[in-house]
Amino acid sequence: MAEKKVSMKVFGMTCDDCVRTVSEGLRSSGARDVSVDLSSGMAHFIIDDAHTEPEKLLTIPAFSGNSHYKGQIRKVE
Amino acid sequence: MPEEYDLVILGRGAAAFSAAIKATELTSGQAKIAMIGVGPLGGTCVNVGCVPSKYLVEAAKSKFEGERQTYPGIIRNRGSLKFDLLIESLRSAVESERMEKYENVIKNYQNVRIFDGKAAFTDPYTVEVINGKDRQTISGFNFLLATGSSPVVPNIPGLPDAGYLTSNDIWGIDDLPDRLAIIGGGFIALELGQSFQRLGSKVTIIKEHNSISKTIDPEFQQAMIKSLEEDGVEFLTGTSVRSAKKSVSGKILTLWAGGKTLDREFDQILVSRGRKPNVSGLNLEKAGIEYSERGVKVDPYLMTSNDRIYAAGDVVDQAYQLETLAAREGSIAASNIYNPEKMKIELNSVPWAIFTEPQFASVGITESMAKKEGIKCTCRTLRIEDIPKGRILNAHNGLFRVIADPDSGKILGVEILAPYAAEMIMEGVHLIRNGAHLEDLVQATHVFPTVAEGIKLTGQSFFRDMSKMSCCME
Repeated sequence: MAEKKVSMKVFGMTCDDCVRTVSEGLRSSGARDVSVDLSSGMAHFIIDDAHTEPEKLLTIPAFSGNSHYKGQIRKVE
Repeated sequence: MPEEYDLVILGRGAAAFSAAIKATELTSGQAKIAMIGVGPLGGTCVNVGCVPSKYLVEAAKSKFEGERQTYPGIIRNRGSLKFDLLIESLRSAVESERMEKYENVIKNYQNVRIFDGKAAFTDPYTVEVINGKDRQTISGFNFLLATGSSPVVPNIPGLPDAGYLTSNDIWGIDDLPDRLAIIGGGFIALELGQSFQRLGSKVTIIKEHNSISKTIDPEFQQAMIKSLEEDGVEFLTGTSVRSAKKSVSGKILTLWAGGKTLDREFDQILVSRGRKPNVSGLNLEKAGIEYSERGVKVDPYLMTSNDRIYAAGDVVDQAYQLETLAAREGSIAASNIYNPEKMKIELNSVPWAIFTEPQFASVGITESMAKKEGIKCTCRTLRIEDIPKGRILNAHNGLFRVIADPDSGKILGVEILAPYAAEMIMEGVHLIRNGAHLEDLVQATHVFPTVAEGIKLTGQSFFRDMSKMSCCME
């Protein structure tokens, strides 16, 4: 199992409810140690690359379809 | 430290604005965007392209229509022209359009900052912006190249000293040239050539080749040239310009045709040899972006060889240079930057037009393109005189052509040379975009009598002898 530390820019968050929605969306898609900051619009989390890839998280319901949140992978370590 | 942005857009024209607005919409206004360029906001189209040229085309048409004997019994008089007033009104119209659709629009976007200056990459995600002595460093996570295009000026000895105009600067003249030479015979040359002729200039179009464009079917090209010749435009085809020089009363071009040289004197020279993508000076190599003199290479999603950098509009290496295409591409590029579902640009259903009279418009493939690319097709052509509204308008030199797959009847292309062709081509766009077949076209009732009925009648001619059909026959 290889862990990846991901930094994601999240556009569209305006309140604490948004932070909660995005955080839960990421957690339910396999991310852990999720930290989302409203003022910077940055989300930091860890994924297990045996189960998912950073880019796949951009297609989870929190960021796709009619969602007004847009995620953009900024850094993967 | 460089200023950091989410999206840095190089260019300030249609593609740039479209991308900035789309990116703002997609990110709920949270993307911090820099838009960098020189010259007035709005780029080619509004300042020196479509807007002033169509203003001139319509003004010239208005003068011409007022003088032309179209119907018996209507007495026409030769109208007089105050060119200085007309060109001032044109410049005023351009200014208004730029203010309304660009300067005032961008004020609504607090997340977009405009920079004046020329940008050049210093590393893959940083540009230096130079404006006189001022230098500023700007970095971005994503970039969009939307730097547009510039007129091509051929290397003709003496031309710079003799003085010439391009489609970028002809809008600054205050006097109507008595004798106007146009070097080149593309779309801009035809539109401006016919317009200046109609306003009173004696226009000579000098072309090395006999064709206007390889993508327009020959019959349409011949009919277009015939229309312009009937207006009085002189075509010197198979003719190249060897040199230029000033004379006491104007400018002399030394022409070469059929093994002979000939000197001709003109008052103004308009160079119209197409437009080249603005790729030089950007240091694209520093960003790992592949390009050539034909433009920036992109994939179907408008991504360059650097996956964080996209390109849109005239700077892209592609078949068309169109304002609407640039705006569409700007929007698609922004969408692909921020959306996981990627969109492709579909050039097949992009319409384009030449605003001569009659107008030419096309969408999809032409018969010439099909032959060249080995695409199996069948086509039918009707003359404008075959259309009742065409006869009512006393129109001539007009043609309608529908190109279809011979097996399935799927419509592959529509070509129109007729009054209002640029308006009517949208029917062809919807037919092609929706994968329509000839049956779909002929089953749709069209308004009678309209020029647009010509598209349907051409579709019907695949199945019937139109000379044996009554009016409005379904």
